[in-house]
Amino acid sequence: MSVRDLLSPFTAWKNLFRDPVTIRDPLNDRPGSARYRGFHQNDIEKCIGCGTCEAICQNKAIDMVPVEGSPTKQGDSGLRPNIDYGRCCWCALCVDVCMTKSLTMSNAYTWVESDPDAFRFTPGVDKKHWDNAELGYRRPDGHRLTERLRIEMDEMAPQTRIESFSEIVAGYDIEQARLEADRCVACGLCVATCPAHMAVPDYIAAVRDGDYLRGVKLLYDSNPFSGICGRVCTHKCETACASRHEGDPIAIRWLKRHIMDQVSFEQCRDIVGGPGAATGKKVAIIGAGPAGLTAAFDLAKLGHSVTVYEALDKPGGMTRWGIPEYRLPYASIDRDIDVIRSVGVDIRCNVRIGKDITLEQLRTSHDAVLLALGLQLGRATRTPGSDHADVRKAVDLLRQATAGEDFGTPRQAVVIGGGNVAMDIARTLARLQKKEFGKVQVTLTALEDLAHFLADPDEIKEAGEEGIVILDARGPQQVVVENGKVTGLKTWRVKAIFDEQGRFAPSYDESDEQFHAGTMVVEAIGQMTDSSLLGDALTEKLTWNRGRLQVDAGGRCSESWLWAAGDMVRGPDIVTAVADGHRVAASIHEVLAAKEQTK
Amino acid sequence: MTQNGDASRGMESLRGKTTLREILEVATGFEAGARDFYRALIPRVSKRIRYLVEDLAAEEQTHFDLFSAMSQRADIAEQVKLEIERTASDSKFSDCLQVQDLGEQPDDQSVLQYAMGREQAAMMHYGELAQTAPPGPIRDLFQYLAGEETRHKLELEKVYYATIYRGGGV
Repeated sequence: MSVRDLLSPFTAWKNLFRDPVTIRDPLNDRPGSARYRGFHQNDIEKCIGCGTCEAICQNKAIDMVPVEGSPTKQGDSGLRPNIDYGRCCWCALCVDVCMTKSLTMSNAYTWVESDPDAFRFTPGVDKKHWDNAELGYRRPDGHRLTERLRIEMDEMAPQTRIESFSEIVAGYDIEQARLEADRCVACGLCVATCPAHMAVPDYIAAVRDGDYLRGVKLLYDSNPFSGICGRVCTHKCETACASRHEGDPIAIRWLKRHIMDQVSFEQCRDIVGGPGAATGKKVAIIGAGPAGLTAAFDLAKLGHSVTVYEALDKPGGMTRWGIPEYRLPYASIDRDIDVIRSVGVDIRCNVRIGKDITLEQLRTSHDAVLLALGLQLGRATRTPGSDHADVRKAVDLLRQATAGEDFGTPRQAVVIGGGNVAMDIARTLARLQKKEFGKVQVTLTALEDLAHFLADPDEIKEAGEEGIVILDARGPQQVVVENGKVTGLKTWRVKAIFDEQGRFAPSYDESDEQFHAGTMVVEAIGQMTDSSLLGDALTEKLTWNRGRLQVDAGGRCSESWLWAAGDMVRGPDIVTAVADGHRVAASIHEVLAAKEQTK
Repeated sequence: MTQNGDASRGMESLRGKTTLREILEVATGFEAGARDFYRALIPRVSKRIRYLVEDLAAEEQTHFDLFSAMSQRADIAEQVKLEIERTASDSKFSDCLQVQDLGEQPDDQSVLQYAMGREQAAMMHYGELAQTAPPGPIRDLFQYLAGEETRHKLELEKVYYATIYRGGGV
């Protein structure tokens, strides 16, 4: 042994005053790196419960569960992701796919529990020490697994479309439709929002697969008005779409239309099939609009003999008589209705109940009667001067325009109203003026400011593009009549349209008066049902609920032989009327089946 | 039937009243008259819009109860002072409606227009009386009554909009 060997252990003392290279308390003093994929965080307020995190998880580590304080509402399932750390592999696909960026990962990575079940938890609901951690993994801006913007649909330029009533939008071609369908994450929030609960993710998947026959089958499972709804549905589904949070909602309406456009009438008819086995029961339906014909379709498929009575000379209700052809070609209406006829529904037009046949006759000759009268009467403002013959109602003019009648196109017109009917008549008049006089002179005035118009934003935009002057927040004050002729409309400015409780209650500023020139004033405000066919005695017998027929959940009135459905019960909306038609058909069928059993 | 005729003559009778209680009793009588008018109208209108007339009769009964209770109070003047601080401004909407006779079988729009016109007339009459009365408790009372009628008219206007502009019902 050398001297060096004896002294060398003591050389270690030279490290006594150096900084340590190890971590004193590694469990507490060593944070994860800034973008570490640690424990999950979820901003409960931003989360919409779409479940895309659950769908994408390769290890089935996520379950969507109901949580207290997150109720189901439009565009939010109310469910929240519950994560099982026994399965999670920390890949962060759930974070990358999150449609609202509510799901993130903190940089925390230590968690000590004695109970193994504790490692299944609901981030954001079950409080954890990393809930407020600022570091960790978030989906980087601009990084998305799906396309943000919808595929644009080709449409006619304003200067072209104003020349005719040809349909404005072209419809997707197959490639465009597939690209648009690819954006859908199939969360299904739209299904809950659609009044008819259409199987939206499934039929979008059919578009993606190019399987249009499957798509049509899915459409007809819930909506025999799919061709019509594919063009003019109010598409509430798109307001609930998860994609709208960081981009455009999926063009659900256009994809529905695309499916219908790819399949012939004969294919539709074959997919739908014929009537059900005859039950021997007879049902009379008054009104050939979406509610009446949907109920007729369902009841015929169930084997009942269904006759639909329509007062006008063609079926379709307000879809035909209230919506201009540039939005909804008559051929599309005819095709949907022909499919409904193909299941055995007998539609008799030009039959006015109460005049040609009495309601009592229908009652005695049928096992059930359904009223689906729609809202075909226009309300009047009843402002001074509005009783002049050249003050017309929009629904009447639209009906005349559809029938091809000449109602005397005004060189200059003023429309009162801010809903879709107002836009429809303004744009119809614009086309007629263009054809007859070579230029558009339509002014549209509405009580609401633009942000609160009831019309679809696309309608407002397109009306403006077509040369219609839109004046918002103007209240009709007087129709001006000089020498027996209408010369225009005076309006006052609307200072506010809602009261402090949010109720619609416009207040006017009389010092701000404007005159809008026009030889015709068109009222396009509320609509109502013509229920005169009921007669005084039945009106008195029936139970009413604040102006509407009182019906039970199945649409049955207080008189047991009578049902009511559609706009006259639920208010104006095509897909809501379709949903109501299904509901009422189920109720009628149930009652008729029960009668058969008690025989 | 015109809405301003009888009511106007009744309003004029208020000019001769000298005590708060007398004025309130006359105003209460107007409310009772309106309530009875609507109650009599109920069977004349179609059942589907009867709820509207029933609501109007109930509203007038509420006013009747309010004024009756106030006329019984010993501190009418103080109460009126408190109440007129709850001002309601006229929205001017009813100025833009044609005032119509109700006719034999009025519809919902006619009934509402009639009711709004009646409230409008009452509001204006009370307002005029307040302007011509000397400052003091009687003027305060007329101001209070005008405010109440204005408030009632505003409520009716909201129902009118919900029914006529935003409706879609029968």
